[in-house]
Amino acid sequence: MIVERVLRRPVRAVGRWWQDWAEHAGQIAHLVASTIVAVVRLRVSWREVVRQIYVMGVQSIPIVLVTALLSGVVTSQQGSYQITAMVPLYILGSVTVTSIVLELGPVLTAVVLVGRVGARITAELGTMVVSEQIDAYHSLGRDPIVALGAPRIVAGLLVMPLLVGLANATGIASGVVALNVSADLSAETFFYGARLFWHSWDLVYSLMKALTFGFAIPVIAIHMGLRTKGGAAGVGSATTASVMFQTLTVLILDALFPPLFLQ
Amino acid sequence: MSGASGEAVIRFRNTHKAFGRPVLSGVDLDVRDGEMFALFGPSGTGKSVLLKTTIGLVVPDRGDVEVAGRSVYFGGAGSLAWVRQLVGYVFQNAALFDSMDVYRNVEMGLPAVRLRRMSRDEAARSVWEALDLVNLDPAAVMRLLPAELSGGMKKRVGIARAIVGRPRILLWDEPTTGLDPVNTVAVERLIQRLSGELRVTSMIVSHDVEGALWMCDRVAMLEGGRIRFCGGPDDFRTADDPVVRAFVDRAAAEAALGAGEMS
Repeated sequence: MIVERVLRRPVRAVGRWWQDWAEHAGQIAHLVASTIVAVVRLRVSWREVVRQIYVMGVQSIPIVLVTALLSGVVTSQQGSYQITAMVPLYILGSVTVTSIVLELGPVLTAVVLVGRVGARITAELGTMVVSEQIDAYHSLGRDPIVALGAPRIVAGLLVMPLLVGLANATGIASGVVALNVSADLSAETFFYGARLFWHSWDLVYSLMKALTFGFAIPVIAIHMGLRTKGGAAGVGSATTASVMFQTLTVLILDALFPPLFLQ
Repeated sequence: MSGASGEAVIRFRNTHKAFGRPVLSGVDLDVRDGEMFALFGPSGTGKSVLLKTTIGLVVPDRGDVEVAGRSVYFGGAGSLAWVRQLVGYVFQNAALFDSMDVYRNVEMGLPAVRLRRMSRDEAARSVWEALDLVNLDPAAVMRLLPAELSGGMKKRVGIARAIVGRPRILLWDEPTTGLDPVNTVAVERLIQRLSGELRVTSMIVSHDVEGALWMCDRVAMLEGGRIRFCGGPDDFRTADDPVVRAFVDRAAAEAALGAGEMS
């Protein structure tokens, strides 16, 4: 009896944990499948997609630019600090460009989008759940995933590569300027170094990351928003959990990229 | 009062639902075609939950609901969508879509298939008529956002959205909750007038017992997860059951208090 009582609690906890994860996996799969079907059947409101492109993309440009600008300055400065007299300075061009294109551009842009767009989507949909607006969609025979989810996912896929491209270009430009001022490295020498170790695949890799993050962020944000329970406190908890879940997903996906695509 | 034909149009059959604790414990109830039916009960007894099982907003753990002779949960693919086309649902807090103006909110009440076949003018005419039926000036409110409306106006827009598709059944979830006494009487008169003019079956969940008793053909009381009373309003007022008696007395006392405050 005692053993049974002692064991019951952890077994239940593990069971609940697995049930929770199975629920998450099933709901995310349903969300993705419904979105694909809606896109293929042209059921997505393109007016809403354009609105989401503006909200997710255009309104994110200032913060993405600032983040990319600073990351370019920091990367080039740290590179120049580490390089000794034995290593030619043009290597800094390669170090800066590779760091930004392969890692900092896509990942920092994704993290910025998690905070600015992912949190907003979860809070917005969570509020719609607790104020019965999602129930109203169902009662009117409309699928909230098609009406609200699909346009956000399509917009995420469209804007993220553009934002990452912009972040890459800004980061490289700020790196050139920073090295020119601090290490007296000319732009020609910078790009000579960058070209020396450049692979065109790096750009494809960067855009693949952008597409992956542009898909994962809205999917998780929508999923967490639609799972919201309770009132205002529920919306707060859902948003916090969503931001955490999105950030972790971005970092885990980022860690999977090198072994999968840089071998 | 409207003329009920006697044939059941909504049938709850041994409906069970639990949220951790049992809320509905085998509800059996018939709502007849064309009647105005009110469901009462103390707070937290599952009145709104029962109403939501009618159109699948809450799925029963056991049992079934039939609408117009078709099982909602065992009627095969498409039965839920079919039922939702027959039913208009008025939410407790109107549940208007925040991001849409009044016109778009009401237009969403038109079934998607029908809306696609309609010309823009036809859809506008339907929206105009629905707003007119709920005593709102369409020209004045059409372009307003829900945030710009008073509580009473929001309720009316919610009602217009529910009736614009000309449903056969109207479900009212606490239609007068949160309204001042003047608006409460106005909304009750509106419910009665609409039920007569549109020849619909109405099922009303309400805390305003006195208000619902004068306009309904039959009433039921939910208590302990089961139907405690079902019959005419006069039988309800004079019921011998001590639980029903206590509920009626409390409701009468609250109504007297409300009337005193109003005067």
